[in-house]
Amino acid sequence: MKGRALLYQVGATLVLLAVLGLLDRFLPTFVNQYIIRILILSGINIMLAVSLNLINGFTGQFSLGHAGFMAIGGYTSAFFSIHAGPSIVQALGQSPQSAGAAGAVVLILGLAVGALCAAIAGLIIGIPTLRLRGDYLAIATLGMGEIIRVVILNIEAVGGARGLTNIPGYTTFFWVYLLVAITVIVNWNLVRSRHGRALLAVREDEVAAESLGVPTTKYKVLAFAVGAAFAGMAGSLFGHYLRYLNTNSFTFLKSFEVVIMVVLGGMGSITGSISAAILLTLLPEVLRPIKEYRMVLYALLLILLMILRPQGFFGSRELRLPLPAPWRARLARFARWVGPGEAGVTDEARAAAPGAAAVSAVPVVSLRAPAAGDRGALRREILRLEALTVAFGGLKAVADFDLLLRERDLVGLIGPNGAGKTTVFNAITGVYPPTAGRVILSGKDLGGLPPHRIAALGVARTFQNIRLFGQLSVLDNVRTACHLQAANTAWDAIWKTGAHRREEARTLGRARAMLRLMDLARLEDAPAAMLPYGLQRRLEIARALASGPKLLLLDEPAAGMNPQETAELMALIQRIRDEFGPAVLLVEHDMQVVMGICERVSVLDYGIRIAEGTPAEIRRHPKVIEAYLGPEGAAHA
Amino acid sequence: MLEVQNLVVRYGGIEALHGISLRVEEGQIATLIGANGAGKTTCLRTISGLNRPAAGRIVLEGRDITHRSPHEIVGLGVIHVAEGRGVFADLTVRENLDLGAWRRKDRAGIARDRERVFELFPRLKERYHQSGGTLSGGEQQMLAIGRGLMADPRVLLLDEPSLGLAPVLVATIFEIIRTIHRSGATILLVEQNARMALRESDYAYVLETGRIVHAGPAAEVAQDPKVAEAYLGSG
Amino acid sequence: MQELLQQLVNGISWGSIYSLIALGYTMVYGILRFINFAHGDVYMVGAFVAYYSVFFLGLRSGGVAGALGALAVIALAMLAAAVLGVSIERLAYKPVRRQARLTALITAIGVSLFLENAGILAFGAEPKFFPQIIASKSLRLPGGAYVTTHQLLVLGGSLVLMVGLNLIVYRTKIGLGMRALSLNRDVANLMGVPTDRIIAFTFGLGSALAAAAGVLVALSNPRIDPLMGLLPGLKAFVAAVLGGIGSIPGAMVGGLLMGIAETLVSGYISSTYRDAIAFSILIVILLVRPAGLFGRAVTEKV
Repeated sequence: MKGRALLYQVGATLVLLAVLGLLDRFLPTFVNQYIIRILILSGINIMLAVSLNLINGFTGQFSLGHAGFMAIGGYTSAFFSIHAGPSIVQALGQSPQSAGAAGAVVLILGLAVGALCAAIAGLIIGIPTLRLRGDYLAIATLGMGEIIRVVILNIEAVGGARGLTNIPGYTTFFWVYLLVAITVIVNWNLVRSRHGRALLAVREDEVAAESLGVPTTKYKVLAFAVGAAFAGMAGSLFGHYLRYLNTNSFTFLKSFEVVIMVVLGGMGSITGSISAAILLTLLPEVLRPIKEYRMVLYALLLILLMILRPQGFFGSRELRLPLPAPWRARLARFARWVGPGEAGVTDEARAAAPGAAAVSAVPVVSLRAPAAGDRGALRREILRLEALTVAFGGLKAVADFDLLLRERDLVGLIGPNGAGKTTVFNAITGVYPPTAGRVILSGKDLGGLPPHRIAALGVARTFQNIRLFGQLSVLDNVRTACHLQAANTAWDAIWKTGAHRREEARTLGRARAMLRLMDLARLEDAPAAMLPYGLQRRLEIARALASGPKLLLLDEPAAGMNPQETAELMALIQRIRDEFGPAVLLVEHDMQVVMGICERVSVLDYGIRIAEGTPAEIRRHPKVIEAYLGPEGAAHA
Repeated sequence: MLEVQNLVVRYGGIEALHGISLRVEEGQIATLIGANGAGKTTCLRTISGLNRPAAGRIVLEGRDITHRSPHEIVGLGVIHVAEGRGVFADLTVRENLDLGAWRRKDRAGIARDRERVFELFPRLKERYHQSGGTLSGGEQQMLAIGRGLMADPRVLLLDEPSLGLAPVLVATIFEIIRTIHRSGATILLVEQNARMALRESDYAYVLETGRIVHAGPAAEVAQDPKVAEAYLGSG
Repeated sequence: MQELLQQLVNGISWGSIYSLIALGYTMVYGILRFINFAHGDVYMVGAFVAYYSVFFLGLRSGGVAGALGALAVIALAMLAAAVLGVSIERLAYKPVRRQARLTALITAIGVSLFLENAGILAFGAEPKFFPQIIASKSLRLPGGAYVTTHQLLVLGGSLVLMVGLNLIVYRTKIGLGMRALSLNRDVANLMGVPTDRIIAFTFGLGSALAAAAGVLVALSNPRIDPLMGLLPGLKAFVAAVLGGIGSIPGAMVGGLLMGIAETLVSGYISSTYRDAIAFSILIVILLVRPAGLFGRAVTEKV
């Protein structure tokens, strides 16, 4: 299997190189230089759009400073070519004027320099701005892009205001489109892996992503760095084509242009970015006759686009070629091995996936399932809350709360509105650090750990207001939860190594098994936001469970359900506890659920525990009744 | 005076109200009680226009107000005192009260109502120029109700006025509600504190997961064991 | 010392222009949580409307006639801008109000590009020169610094406008409605405050201020062109963020600080970095205190 994959990959690469080489050599005989120029500029714009899409479209970080990365890549590589280039060319035995193959070497090194410098800029810019959201992030990146431009403008060594001249013209059709292919393939492969799913999760709902163990900051930085690197390479190609660079090409207007390409194509669609980039490179040329009106029309079209079709060409999907089914399957199979296809998901591949038989034997959730008669034996302590206090300003939302949960406990946490129940959850999962007291998970103090680390230790939760990854499919929601259990690195993903294929197949198998268990299998491709409410809840629980937790926190899972759905939910929760053995802590208002399945109930009122006991005890407890219905005494005035 | 007919409301993907009907007669206090998540606030928000119903009608004195916008409904005299009070912390007591009368044009009437609010809530007069955020919970509730009164309401919708208040303050607030009622106001009261609400009201509706499961004169509903069940579940 | 004073005079002069523009950004953001990228271009429109008005009205320069003429064109520009602002809101922004924030932001970028390029089409890309209807004289201040009549005009005009705005926002019913809407839209609605109308009013008001700023600048720095609003618009935006976006006093203070910072750096360190100052301040603010000087941090409910 591995041999065949390698064969396909090498073969496809050779074919690509050959085709590009032939085009490079023979295209000028069929078309004039003007067309070639357009093709090259289109290619550069494709690289810019696809790389920006990684940041904006897939990771949801609205960056308006992309031109800055392009500038850094362009200027650093040009500087390298001008100063280090001649020595390299001579060392390779050629003269700088007709550099040929040596020129290609310089270009490759220049590209590497440009990519590296841009990536570093991406890291630097990415890290601090990560605390910002939405509009603020957009403005911050806009500012950073401008600062980069002004700084470059003031560096005399690269020409200052006059610009940088005499850049060797090493860019050819071949190099541009080779890099376009690399950009597209790398981004495509990255996105269709667990890392891509992590990025999408960050876009959809950061809080939920963190709760599943996805280190959101790390992924945002990754997106910025990779996106910047490709933009830098686009800049290098640009500089080595025009043979001249001026900071006027890299103002925020350029950044806007690229943003428009991404939005027009559809944020989250690589084929969309490619199409839009080509269109928007051609459009100015096509509209040349009405040049003066061009920009005004552009602007009007943009406004209309946002009002009428904000999702652009393809939204967050990819272009579907209108091929007949057998050809589509063959293409998918080919693509799966070679590059752009997705590991193990295509129709035929489902049955034929290597190790498919082995996959179904992999346990969905790897927990030690206790023996049947285990109930009485001493079960391990999973969660201990010691005098937990969470205060905001002067107000104590939770005060001195004690709780103990062992393996396979099913405990309810109830109390009137505002009693502090969700705050307890947030303290356990690391959303708020405890003001005082401790949260101890299997003996380990969780104080101060960020949510994704706590999730990695075996805590999973659902949310009061459902936080699914709405635009992702049911299957992908669950697969994201398996993030922690897979080991394929980003590098593996890009090269589609054996390890990547194996891990992805494993993840797929796990996710599918979980969906079957929760009776959601037939909906696996449906976007999560389209599901009816009851199924959305079930999916959220399935997702939480898929991360293999030893502690499961459910926040008002029965909210909005009718009695029938509630009964099903109760059975489901008990089954989960019995089969997978986590400790379950349940916040609920629906007393039918609490009284029906909880073994123990803890009651909060104004952040303080006022009672704890079995459901029957709680029902009769005077303080509990008072908390819910009002003070007894006042009723008979 | 105010009638809700077969109201169906969808909210955040769920159907929160499955076709409820209720009435408030002129000069009456009707109360809507039920557990959390039952849909009480959703009901009030739909009446005041913040939520749009999927089906059903809301009728005020014979006039259909179902699809009007919130500020129009305020203009017709339906005043919703929101859950959690909604006092503008950054604005002064005076500005909050002025906001209550925002749609009114009769200076004399506004001044008169302001005096009335001061009579009911002397504390507000004391703190007239302080910002809303400096008031205690109980004072804020008073401000919210006072603000509602400044709008010269025909129907007053009170959403959980006792929420987050200490028992002593709860008693005070309900006394005030009683006073307002006695002066002829029509009130629809939503409460989690069932006992107090039933004590003060003329008529009661019990809401459970989006359905009215019980209705009747408040005194009768208060004696009914089913009420406790609606909150704490059956055995 | 004299030089410092001079820089301060210059800085405050420019700063008040930034404040006028920043007010528009901050008021709209306060109510809609939306950054109106096109706001800077309204400043440009104001200058051009005034420019054409001067010829249309046949105004003369100098003395009282000049002063009255200036007032007249400022008023006209403010009116035209208010109409423009309300139209933009109705036609371009209202339809996307319920969409994702990004969609609205991109729409704003589109409007901005439209105004700039329509300006180029309508007015020509070449810069025009605003007639000097107020004569330029220098007055000596105690301390040795000089202030020109133009600067006095800018300072005086901005002061009057800002006082006027304060009166509107803090002393009128509609201002109360604006503030209520920006604090809590639902509760404001329950008070009977009509969202759409107040939003339109806010846009109109902010646009009028920006246009006034444009005319004030044109009267003293006569060179006007369709792209003149880009950079001041961005800088004013940064000023609004500095002061705390959504806060009216913040916009006023932020603008002044921005003007002073720019002038001082430009004077004492390097003038080529002048434009980068704004962005550097922006980055620092966003990293250190995103809520700005007078703003309040908003936390997400989990």
